Amino acid sequence: MKSLSLGSRVHLLIGLCLALLLLAGWAASGPHPLPSLAWSLGGASVLLLGLALYTAQRILKALDRLTGHLTAAAAGNLDSRITGIKAGAATGELAWAINDLLDQQEAYFREVYSAFEHATRGQTFRLAMDQGLHGAFKEAMVRVNISVESLGQVQMMALKEKLISKLTDLNSGNLLTNLKSIQEYLMNMTQEMSIVGQLSKETAGDAEASRATIEGLVVDLNRVAEMAVASDAQVRLLHEKSDEIHQIVQVITDVADRTNLLALNAAIEAAHAGDAGKGFAVVAEEVRTLSENTKDAAASIAKTLRTFGQATTQMISDSEQVKALAEGSRMAVAEFRTRVLKFAGSATTSFTQMSRAQDLSFATLVKVDHFLYKQNGYRVIHQGTTSPEARAVQADHRSCRLGTWYYEGQGAELFSHVPSYVRLEAPHADVHRNVHEAVAQLNGAWERNPATQSLIYAHFEAAERASETVMATIDRMVEERHRLG
Amino acid sequence: MVKRPLPTQQERVLGEDDFIVSKTDLKGIITYGNRHFIQMSGYSERELLGTPHSILRHPDMPRVVFRLLWDTIQAKREICAYVKNLAKDGSFYWVFANITPSFDRAGDLIGYYSVRRKPRPEAVASISEVYQALLAAERKAGDGQEGMKASLALLNQTLERKGISYEEFVFGL
Ligand SMILES: Cc1cc2nc3c(=O)[nH]c(=O)nc-3n(C[C@H](O)[C@H](O)[C@H](O)COP(=O)(O)O)c2cc1C
Repeated sequence: MKSLSLGSRVHLLIGLCLALLLLAGWAASGPHPLPSLAWSLGGASVLLLGLALYTAQRILKALDRLTGHLTAAAAGNLDSRITGIKAGAATGELAWAINDLLDQQEAYFREVYSAFEHATRGQTFRLAMDQGLHGAFKEAMVRVNISVESLGQVQMMALKEKLISKLTDLNSGNLLTNLKSIQEYLMNMTQEMSIVGQLSKETAGDAEASRATIEGLVVDLNRVAEMAVASDAQVRLLHEKSDEIHQIVQVITDVADRTNLLALNAAIEAAHAGDAGKGFAVVAEEVRTLSENTKDAAASIAKTLRTFGQATTQMISDSEQVKALAEGSRMAVAEFRTRVLKFAGSATTSFTQMSRAQDLSFATLVKVDHFLYKQNGYRVIHQGTTSPEARAVQADHRSCRLGTWYYEGQGAELFSHVPSYVRLEAPHADVHRNVHEAVAQLNGAWERNPATQSLIYAHFEAAERASETVMATIDRMVEERHRLG
Repeated sequence: MVKRPLPTQQERVLGEDDFIVSKTDLKGIITYGNRHFIQMSGYSERELLGTPHSILRHPDMPRVVFRLLWDTIQAKREICAYVKNLAKDGSFYWVFANITPSFDRAGDLIGYYSVRRKPRPEAVASISEVYQALLAAERKAGDGQEGMKASLALLNQTLERKGISYEEFVFGL
């Protein structure tokens, strides 16, 4: 009876029962009535009828149970299953069929749920598994997976977009700050440069004035020399004139001598008398000549003395002029000295100004370079890990331009004595480390992995923070160097 | 409780189009198993119901896999794992198991649901090697907490070297 279905089992029982009843009727009323046999046959059929009724009852109860499970399933509860199914039970096959249906449905829904749930997180590797599902369930799964894949694609794009837009925000925020700081530097530099320009203009003006002063001085000095030559001639003339006076004085002395002799002769002649008239005439002639000579000499003396007076006047006026010239030169030299001093002063100022401008310009340069380094980091996201940008960001904090400046270049040379110098190393290394780590994440499947994406974002954010410190520290270094001198 | 059979080298293979379904309560006690489950495990439904799922545990399985399994499903997440099971007659059968938590209408965890499918032979070959290494690590460090720690570290290290999550690894096999 095991292999019989529940319907045929009841049918068989009822058929058997009817056959027994017929047999009982035949035994009771046939040609050879056998009442005892009829009785027992009747009893057996009643018993069988009872059994049939009992079986029907049990089947009904089992069906009730199955109906309960199916009703629950229809209401959306796929969890319940029929258990304790007896191997030979009439409803066993039906119960297993219901369990199988529920298993198919539940597996289907759970698979769809898991696959979509993963896809919304960008994890498209978790497709819905159709293995073990049958018929319509299996076919539906194929279409589900197409949706899952396209959802994953959309999700992946959305995630990628989200990261990129977040990074763009982060970058452009900092970009503006960076550009502003660079702009400020350039403005400061321009100002410093214009001060230097002003100073050199002044210096040039001073130099021009000094040149005029020197030229004036040279003219003055030339005139002094000319005057010296002129007064030398006057002095020589004076000397000659004094010789002439000497000669004239000699003549006068001669005249005096002769007059003296004549006077002696006249005295002797007077003693001889007699012939007095004749002799006196000669003497008188001599005296006349003498007196003429004396007159000439006196005139010469007067003339010479006049010339002498002229030369003296000239000399006096010349020496006065020389005095004025000397005074003028002295003042010119004093002015020249002030000019030179002022020139030296402005040269010093313009040197300080120039060196500050130079520092600022170099600081700007390393800032720009540092900033470009970060930009390259961002560009790797678009350009990929084999791009030139990716190669560029491999530089560490010692080999990048800022690093070379800091460790061996002008940075070390000019700034190593300021307090902020040592504070630059750590944040600078941090920037490189974070960019390296962010870029390292780009090697994997970052596009569909939100955890990796937040890691990338976190590294870029940390790099930006460290970079802010780098910029501020460079500013402070420049400031400290010029405050400390 | 049924006594443990001695493992043999006999392998049973699940049908390509079939899956094994079983359900457990929160403690891992079997509350339902479909006919494939009954057939592959070799136990009767009566023997299986009310029995811990570990009745199928094969000694070749590293403990860390079940640790990961329980940690994940208790956190209300799904887990997929390759499992070597021990049938009643000592034979073994490989499955790719998917276990998900079940909730009632109020959203409370009420048990676990598991579907097991026939794994690809290549995947079984790869995972067997991983499991052997994990098992060796567990045995070397002693079978207590230390063993678990050692094999968990080895598993994480393996995944880290590949740069992928456990899930990605399992689905990529
Ligand atoms: C739904 C469900 C299905 C499981 N299926 C298996 C299985 O097929 N094979 C197995 O060894 N363990 C299975 N387990 C894990 C066991 O509960 C158990 O943790 C494992 O056999 C290890 O035994 P142990 O915890 O006693 O060491 C299952 C657990 C749950 C919740």
